[in-house]
Amino acid sequence: MASRKEGAGSAATSSSSTTGPAGKGKGKGGSGDSAVKQVQIDGLVVLKIIKHYQEEGQGTEVVQGVLLGLVVEDRLEITNCFPFPQHTEDDADFDEVQYQMEMMRSLRHVNIDHLHVGWYQSTYYGSFVTRALLDSQFSYQHAIEESVVLIYDPIKTAQGSLSLKAYRLTPKLMEVCKEKDFSPEALKKGNITFEHMFEEVPIVIKNSHLINVLMWELEKKSAVADKHELLSLASSNHLGKNLQLLMDRVDEMSQDIVKYNTYMRNTSKQQQQKHQYQQRRQQENMQRQSRGEPPLPEEDLSKLFKPPQPPARMDSLLIAGQINTYCQNIKEFTAQNLGKLFMAQALQEYNN
Amino acid sequence: MSRFFTTGSDSESESSLSGEELVTKPVGGNYGKQPLLLSEDEEDTKRVVRSAKDKRFEELTNLIRTIRNAMKIRDVTKCLEEFELLGKAYGKAKSIVDKEGVPRFYIRILADLEDYLNELWEDKEGKKKMNKNNAKALSTLRQKIRKYNRDFESHITNYKQNPEQSADEDAEKNEEDSEGSSDEDEDEDGVSAAAFLKKKSEAPSGESRKFLKKMEDDEEDSEDSEDDEDWDTGSTSSDSDSEEEEGKQTVLASRFLKKAPTTEEDKKAAEKKREDKAKKKHDRKSKRLDEEEEDNEGGEWERVRGGVPLVKEKPKMFAKGTEITHAVVIKKLNEILQARGKKGTDRAAQIELLQLLVQIASENNLGEGVIVKIKFNIIASLYDYNPNLATYMKPEMWQKCLDCINELMDILFANPNIFVGENILEESENLHNADQPLRVRGCILTLVERMDEEFTKIMQNTDPHSQEYVEHLKDEAQVCAIIERVQRYLEEKGTTEEICRVYLRRILHTYYKFDYKAHQRQLTPPEGSSKSEQDQAENEGEDSAVLMERLCKYIYAKDRTDRIRTCAILCHIYHHALHSRWYQARDLMLMSHLQDNIQHADPPVQILYNRTMVQLGICAFRQGLTKDAHNALLDIQSSGRAKELLGQGLLLRSLQERNQEQEKVERRRQVPFHLHINLELLECVYLVSAMLLEIPYMAAHESDARRRMISKQFHHQLRVGERQPLLGPPESMREHVVAASKAMKMGDWKTCHSFIINEKMNGKVWDLFPEADKVRTMLVRKIQEESLRTYLFTYSSVYDSISMETLSDMFELDLPTVHSIISKMIINEELMASLDQPTQTVVMHRTEPTAQQNLALQLAEKLGSLVENNERVFDHKQGTYGGYFRDQKDGYRKNEGYMRRGGYRQQQSQTAY
Repeated sequence: MASRKEGAGSAATSSSSTTGPAGKGKGKGGSGDSAVKQVQIDGLVVLKIIKHYQEEGQGTEVVQGVLLGLVVEDRLEITNCFPFPQHTEDDADFDEVQYQMEMMRSLRHVNIDHLHVGWYQSTYYGSFVTRALLDSQFSYQHAIEESVVLIYDPIKTAQGSLSLKAYRLTPKLMEVCKEKDFSPEALKKGNITFEHMFEEVPIVIKNSHLINVLMWELEKKSAVADKHELLSLASSNHLGKNLQLLMDRVDEMSQDIVKYNTYMRNTSKQQQQKHQYQQRRQQENMQRQSRGEPPLPEEDLSKLFKPPQPPARMDSLLIAGQINTYCQNIKEFTAQNLGKLFMAQALQEYNN
Repeated sequence: MSRFFTTGSDSESESSLSGEELVTKPVGGNYGKQPLLLSEDEEDTKRVVRSAKDKRFEELTNLIRTIRNAMKIRDVTKCLEEFELLGKAYGKAKSIVDKEGVPRFYIRILADLEDYLNELWEDKEGKKKMNKNNAKALSTLRQKIRKYNRDFESHITNYKQNPEQSADEDAEKNEEDSEGSSDEDEDEDGVSAAAFLKKKSEAPSGESRKFLKKMEDDEEDSEDSEDDEDWDTGSTSSDSDSEEEEGKQTVLASRFLKKAPTTEEDKKAAEKKREDKAKKKHDRKSKRLDEEEEDNEGGEWERVRGGVPLVKEKPKMFAKGTEITHAVVIKKLNEILQARGKKGTDRAAQIELLQLLVQIASENNLGEGVIVKIKFNIIASLYDYNPNLATYMKPEMWQKCLDCINELMDILFANPNIFVGENILEESENLHNADQPLRVRGCILTLVERMDEEFTKIMQNTDPHSQEYVEHLKDEAQVCAIIERVQRYLEEKGTTEEICRVYLRRILHTYYKFDYKAHQRQLTPPEGSSKSEQDQAENEGEDSAVLMERLCKYIYAKDRTDRIRTCAILCHIYHHALHSRWYQARDLMLMSHLQDNIQHADPPVQILYNRTMVQLGICAFRQGLTKDAHNALLDIQSSGRAKELLGQGLLLRSLQERNQEQEKVERRRQVPFHLHINLELLECVYLVSAMLLEIPYMAAHESDARRRMISKQFHHQLRVGERQPLLGPPESMREHVVAASKAMKMGDWKTCHSFIINEKMNGKVWDLFPEADKVRTMLVRKIQEESLRTYLFTYSSVYDSISMETLSDMFELDLPTVHSIISKMIINEELMASLDQPTQTVVMHRTEPTAQQNLALQLAEKLGSLVENNERVFDHKQGTYGGYFRDQKDGYRKNEGYMRRGGYRQQQSQTAY
């Protein structure tokens, strides 16, 4: 199905129709100095990712793999990929890095692009903004500056529109991650908000002319009936799932806030205590001075009042990011569905 | 008993103790290889010396044995070696020998060895055949022994003159199993060889006769001639030991004179020993090894000084000459009692003594007072018999105890002029003065309470699935009868406190029994047919309900200790519940306010409370009050420790947590098996009530995110059922309930019914109820009703309207019932519908939000709380934080500033909204 669309030559437009506008805006704003302005994906890669999920992923399980390609001018061209093997219990000592190196070496032998330019991951209802993703993308970007992560949403794809997005961390976030300090102050200093954590890079799917020709050829011959997933009106399930997930995240957020609140309270209480202590000390010293005694020695206040451990704010940022994604999803979804419903209504009226 | 009387004098404790030794020796094994060589006799000799002496002599006998073996196989070299060792060993034992005189066996080996060597020496041909070593050794040995024997010449000649008789004497003595026999007589006449042979042949027979019942080692000994010989040496040696103590070197004539009394004594001793052995035989099983050893020690101790009391006691027990008066008997009683509780006192013997004393007292018509007094003491010592709290009475003891109490009660009932009381002082007792009322110290109630406890202990310690248990259980009637008698007695004479106590005992024996008679009577209202029978039954005893009522009311009114009242209330409730008087039981429970403070009670009362609650729950279930049943059982079942909470067994899990001591204590708290509440029944009742409550609830609140579980355990069972990879037909009770729940979820009441009530479940659970059929009909009805509710909850969204007739057909309920159920649901706003009377239909309103709407609502709620939380953080930032930093430098102005700040913020927030 996806192949047909790409084959129709509208690949670039179809993907950019959903992701383009938002992605471009952010991309421009966030990464002015980044060399890569655009990700160009080979049709082969898209197909391979879809196939990988089809074969191994199911439900909430996630499949991952490595992207290969190279940077050309301000374009990141992804020309090939291979999956990570699924983990099972019996091969606990499986060396992933070793495997990747082996794979790349082998691919090099057959003259395929072997430069590591990022990784891909499937997602379940768009819930990909997690700590794990952040960490691994950070390590990628730390090692290979231009690397991106491709997020493939199989459920949305099954509904009729291919959903593939390329993300990378903003330079600000990279700075913070390098510091490994997620305290509120550090984040404040870094001027990080949930909107400025990931930036989306616009995607272009490109096929070689030969393939395009072949697709044309095939379309004429193809006996496959037209697919109508796009027009499906049964939407409540999807929406329900999204709501459920959103609710869970909101719960988490709530808890996080409560935690933060407690921290704040504790801090202020301690500050007050500290202050009182200082005052008392001062008074005593004054008295002593008036009596002609030497003042009390200065004590280390930080030892007496250990500030409470500030909660790591990164998690709440991630949750906020995730909530944002969900909201985008729901908005998009409902907008499309409303359109469909109006269409259906119009059709019905017309028929009557 | 009469057996003991024949020997009268010997029923002193010491004698039986020496009997015990006989048994323990092989077990204790402290006598090395030849535990049996030493007959009882030596052990009774001076203990202090013995260990050293024994050791030395054992060494010697061992050496002698090797020498004899070597002699048999003509190994002279070996003989020589051993002889040298023997000489050394003898030197070591010199100090003892000096004290004791030369041991007989030693003399004998010397004599025999010399004879043997001479024989060899003379046998020229044999000598030639010998190998060089042997020949050389022979000459050396011969010379050595000749030189050595010079020192013992007198002994040897003495021995040689009279070996035969000693052998005879030995054999005879063996048969009698006597002690301290007059071996002295043996010495005189006879030649060596013949006597020796004869002795050999005789000894085994005697021995085997004697030890027939003893350990098998003995038999082995008797079969093995070599060992026999050893044995003989051993015994001779021992004989000589004992005799040596008595002064061996006396003249012949005097010995003969002395012989007469000793043998007489011996015979008595023998008899005494025999009976002791018999007694010991059954005792020994249960007795612990260490205890015995302890006793042994004690026994030996007493034996040393034993002569004195023996003489002193004899005349009194025999009543020879002495006139038996109160004073004498009381003195004797006190004497016996003084030994009580002391280490080493033989408790069994004490009981015997006391019983003997009763006999004597009654024979001599000393009056009931004395007999009562002694009986009290007998019972007390029966209780004392087991030193350990954990061990329980042996059946014979128990029986004896029951008999004794019965007899005591007989006397007390027969003689109303006897006053018995704890508070009567020893001094103010009046045992024989017939003019005044007799006063005896002692408390019959305490005895009976102790008896009851013993009974419980016996039941706790018997395997509940054995015939033995049933046998013991038969005694329950006896126990009840005794308690009843005591109750009657105390009702006349006791204080209210005592009456309360005995009533409680009675209650404790009544509350758990289902009164089938009363039940039968209830079922069949008085009609002509079987009336006579019933009348008889009625005459036998009042209804247990009436009885309980009477006893408990008395306790409620009169009792001053909280504990007895609490127990009585609980038992009363239990009894009500057991007989399906739910409302009475519940009201009593609620009025007593026990739920509030039961956690302060001691564990046994708590166990009783738990039992009562469980019974209450089961009662409620039988009445069809599922909710009450569930609530009553929730506490017990939710912990998962029902077994432990009801005192019906220890949990394995907590085995690591508690130590030995705690476990013992817990074990003592266990309820005897015949009082147990069936745990499977309990769980089934709980799960079924939970099912009847939970399934409709689940159906009603399917989309509600905040719904709570009514019963965690039930959910757990459901989950377990779901996890099963392959679902076969249900086997266990739980599986049945889970399967039924699943059927009920679909509103399929027939399947549910077939899962809950079928052959298997009947056998496992339902038949355990006294009114099983009634319960089953109730259950079916409940299932129908709850299934209907579940169906309506689950499928109401599918219907626009539904005819009540259809529903009544589907669930086989009559129309009014369906109507009432639906009305109730509508009133409770569980079902959004209305009833259309003319057409008898339910019209659904469809106001229930859809799943998405529900979700959206929940989301909105959550977002609301999120915003609230967020605002709080915001407040913080604006308020305290900022204010603080600004005014940090100037403490005085800080407060003001803060206030100002706060006020400003408030304004701001007001404008913001």
